Amino acid sequence: MAEYWGIKVEDIFNTMKERFRPEGAKDVSASFGYDIKGEGTWRLTVRNNTMNIEKTDDLAGCAAIMVADGETFVGVNTGKVDGAGAFTSGKVKVEGSLSDFGKTAKMFRKFSPPKKEYTDKDYIQDMFGTIVSRFQPQNCEGLDASIGYDLRGEAGGQWTAVIKDGTCALKNTIEGKPTVRLEVAASDWVRVMMGKIDAMSLLAEGKAAIVGDTSLALKLGQIFAKYTPTWAAPEQELIMLKRTISVNQKFSTGPVMGKFLNSLKEKKIYTNKCPKCGRVHLPAREVCAECRVPATEWITVGPKGQVRYMEYVYYASPDPLTGETRETPYGMGNILLDGCTGNDTFAHLIRRDQIDRIKGGNNEVSGTRVRPVWNETLTGSIHDIKYFEIDE
Amino acid sequence: MGKRVAVCAVAQIKNDPNYWHLRFQNMLHECFESIMEQTKVTFDMEKGIRTVITCSDDVFDARTISNNGVTDVVGAQFRGEEKMAQESINGLGYAMASILSGHDDVVLFMGHCKESQGESKKMVTNLAYDPFYCRPLGLDFVSADALQARAYMRKSGVTDTHLAKVVVRSRKNARKNPYARECALVDEQDVMSSPMLADPMREMHYYPDTDWAFGMLLCCEERVKEFTKKPVWISGYGSCMDSYFLGDRDLTSNFSLKNAAKRAYEKAGIKDPRKEINLFELSDHAAYQLPMWAEGVGIADEGKGGAWIDEGGMEKYNVNLSGGQLNGNPLLLGGAARAIECVLQLRGEAGDRQVKGAKKALAQAAYGGAGQHQAVVILEA
Amino acid sequence: MAHRKKNRNVGIIGIGQTKYSSHREDVNQPEMINEAVSAALKDASLTMKDVDCIVHGNMELFEMVHQPDLWHTLGTGAYGKDCIRITTGGTVGATIACAADNLVASGMYDIVMAIGFQKLQEGHTTGGITNMADPLWFRHLQTGALTGTKAYDVIKEFGEERAKRASLMYRVIMDKHAGLNSNAHRAFGLEFEQIDDLIKTSPKLVGDLKLIEMCSQSDGACCVIFACEKKAKELSKKPVWVRDHITVHREEVFVMFGYDDRHPFPMTHRFAAEQLYKRNGITSPVDYFDVFEMYDPASWWAVDWLRDFFMLKGDEHLKLVENREIMIGGKIPVNPSGGVIGSNPIGATALIRVAEAALQVRGDAGTHQIPTPVNHALASGFGGTMWTVLMMLEKELNWQGVNNG
Repeated sequence: MAEYWGIKVEDIFNTMKERFRPEGAKDVSASFGYDIKGEGTWRLTVRNNTMNIEKTDDLAGCAAIMVADGETFVGVNTGKVDGAGAFTSGKVKVEGSLSDFGKTAKMFRKFSPPKKEYTDKDYIQDMFGTIVSRFQPQNCEGLDASIGYDLRGEAGGQWTAVIKDGTCALKNTIEGKPTVRLEVAASDWVRVMMGKIDAMSLLAEGKAAIVGDTSLALKLGQIFAKYTPTWAAPEQELIMLKRTISVNQKFSTGPVMGKFLNSLKEKKIYTNKCPKCGRVHLPAREVCAECRVPATEWITVGPKGQVRYMEYVYYASPDPLTGETRETPYGMGNILLDGCTGNDTFAHLIRRDQIDRIKGGNNEVSGTRVRPVWNETLTGSIHDIKYFEIDE
Repeated sequence: MGKRVAVCAVAQIKNDPNYWHLRFQNMLHECFESIMEQTKVTFDMEKGIRTVITCSDDVFDARTISNNGVTDVVGAQFRGEEKMAQESINGLGYAMASILSGHDDVVLFMGHCKESQGESKKMVTNLAYDPFYCRPLGLDFVSADALQARAYMRKSGVTDTHLAKVVVRSRKNARKNPYARECALVDEQDVMSSPMLADPMREMHYYPDTDWAFGMLLCCEERVKEFTKKPVWISGYGSCMDSYFLGDRDLTSNFSLKNAAKRAYEKAGIKDPRKEINLFELSDHAAYQLPMWAEGVGIADEGKGGAWIDEGGMEKYNVNLSGGQLNGNPLLLGGAARAIECVLQLRGEAGDRQVKGAKKALAQAAYGGAGQHQAVVILEA
Repeated sequence: MAHRKKNRNVGIIGIGQTKYSSHREDVNQPEMINEAVSAALKDASLTMKDVDCIVHGNMELFEMVHQPDLWHTLGTGAYGKDCIRITTGGTVGATIACAADNLVASGMYDIVMAIGFQKLQEGHTTGGITNMADPLWFRHLQTGALTGTKAYDVIKEFGEERAKRASLMYRVIMDKHAGLNSNAHRAFGLEFEQIDDLIKTSPKLVGDLKLIEMCSQSDGACCVIFACEKKAKELSKKPVWVRDHITVHREEVFVMFGYDDRHPFPMTHRFAAEQLYKRNGITSPVDYFDVFEMYDPASWWAVDWLRDFFMLKGDEHLKLVENREIMIGGKIPVNPSGGVIGSNPIGATALIRVAEAALQVRGDAGTHQIPTPVNHALASGFGGTMWTVLMMLEKELNWQGVNNG
């Protein structure tokens, strides 16, 4: 099992149970497959707000299967690899229903790498491993001194930091008499360096001793930059402020759009056309843009017609008026209503279970014939027509 | 300045509290038809309008790219259309540039705003502030203006009584302006007993929500005769931005307005506005702004706004005979309203409020909280 | 008197760009803008003292900031300056470049700075674009700027296999260009060998428009400084001259293309190109221009629009793509920067086209510089409901004799 950034593919799957959010899996009842190249295949089953993950070769019946290599999979799950970029460039692929697979995003909390327990020994090693790089020569002009660390206990040892000519060198021993010698338990020293306890109280309690030049010991904070463990996460300074902004609106229809919308209440499509070029507007518009004259003639068209073109939409975008994500795939048709010619089509939704049967048309070929399906309650809005369905 | 730019025609609908029965497309189209009727201008690619400048605002319209809903009604099909997404007066400055650059001979300038559409314009202007500090504090243009009002009133000896005078006069003047919003006539006592909006600003001290649309046709000097017998010339334009944080600004210094006015005067060759300019249309969103902006454009002495009102400065300099912004124009379009009033005056078409023999006029517009951005246009008969 | 002679010449003397990225949580809006402004001032060896006027542009509903130039004063340096804000749609970046050119050419200002920006991660882009539709009707139906109509069109005209391969060929070329541009947001390292695989596997968004073929959503800012001829010559060793520009909008459309050959559907791109070339006496744009920075929101559109912008016939535009003539080193390199598919901070995107075209003319595009001399460059903007802006840039001030009026 290869490790990526210290994490195995299995780690991601093995933590799925504890990361599962039942509230994110509401109304989902499906299986999802993961095909991680060179690592194996996993099957995630979600049903009744519960989940199960198993490593298996049987991915039959999965609503969607994610395919990726181990590095990309771990990278995306740990934030080391940009998920959108990996998906766009094909490093992550989804076989089957993309919108179904998208639901898995809400089901799990973010993976965070397991926290390692660090021992005093780890800290002591890390402190002396970084001491030279933490040296601050600008604060040590003309300083010629040695600092002995005599740390007792299991994690302890002896070290000397030798400072001369603006440089610092570390020896893994104490030879002779250093300028100052610190004597303290290694475990206490770790607590001092991590800011959990202050050195003066250790001295007061007699748990630590300074032998030699005490004033030098007091300058340690200037001689060396503050210690932070190399494994510590960088301090979080950036804040993202999340706000949903809304200002309620009253959209006037005006007389033209008003007449058009009102006609829908009578299950009629009543619209206007240009008195000059004859172009029919759907929906009605104040002027003919081409001729720059008011569109004053009103006619009834449709309500049946033929599909000239249908947008087959896979991408689940939010409806900006409701914030709800639309169910995909859906079809939006440009429908040439009876009584219209050329490009004077009407845009509306197509019945979702029929979108695979829709054929577009042009001047030589007729498209699928459709009819509007009216809503039970008619209010004079676009929703008075639920959608168009095949006229058969 | 060598070549000049002419305003050939103006059109507007009446300012109204709530055009509930009209879409902004309807409002604009009425103005469009009027301009076409007055000038017989065409959209010919060689000789007609190739560029339309519109003015509207995405947040007020609740529409991304608010101008895409107007392309057809402003005649911009297969022509250029650029949106001034700032106070409308800057659209005049930009139209001037488009013509003086040689890029266009004829420019149509149109704008709309429906303040009645959104729940609250305070919610809109709150969004002009940064989301981290000022916005959560609840700052909007009203509260920012109130802070400025307090500081300015102290500096210039302007009292609640002075502000009442400004409001009473504004509504009286508006009665003579057929395009002004209908506002009830009030006396000083009514104003002084109107509730506080944001201390020291009372509700009647602040302009009311208004819907409006306008149109203007501009052209180069060489071709002006094709479109009008009574051109009005734009001879100067200047604008200026102040700092963003109120704490960084001297709220009573008129920093941005003085700069904008200076730049406009330089371009128009005006040395003493008190002597050379016959009328002033100032964008007083709030009553305190009338004397304050008067100081800014140099017709009231610095720090003497109160005395200036007492001494009849508003009448002496023919300030806001239209009723001004205070009587009601949409926030975004106050500058265009001011400029159109100047055009009507300079053409001698201002009816009962006509200043006899007016030759030069100044239109000013402020936008942002406490007049952060200011612009001035000089017009000449 | 059609298009009159320019009142005075205008040169681009400073260009600044941020890196384009989907992760600019480290800066707020004015801070990000300031990166581009500072870079442009440095490029021009100017300070804010030298700048007379600022033109600001973006689309405000994406970040939900009303009149953002007020707050952004902190980053734009507009304090004490003339400052205007002009917007259109995706075209806005090109619009403010045109505006800056007009403002300088008019004689009203000597040095004008155009600033375009967008922080798309601060809002929902597709939702934001959908908000542009009529609230009474189309807002309920639209899916942002995503549409499969162009793919349908091209497939109908040239057959499925050739059309799909051309779209992906264009896409891979853009990715290769983006790989050379350190500012680009997305460079995946795509290879031509992947074309067939990507056709099969890249997820579909709408119809035959696939994810890999659609532009990115980026954060970023771009700043371009324009100066009058006198100042440009004094201040810059290599000013790039703005020759001409044209803007063509059209009505809010519910129909994005025609279905009936008897009712031809007019296209703004071709109309704009025809008008611009006619008044500048250019008969063969493919031969005239040395580089084209095109606003290419998706590879299907890009392939098709080459025909309109270059006034080509039949399948000439497909051949340009198929023969890789649009690659750096080809006959007419398109988007050496990687284009909009590579980086798309919408309010800055069209200004980046102008900036990148100018960098090519200057010879300062670095690792994505075209090896042959660039004397004539074309930049385009796209936005709104099929709106077009075209701007022509020149290395030499030598076209005045040409029919420009």
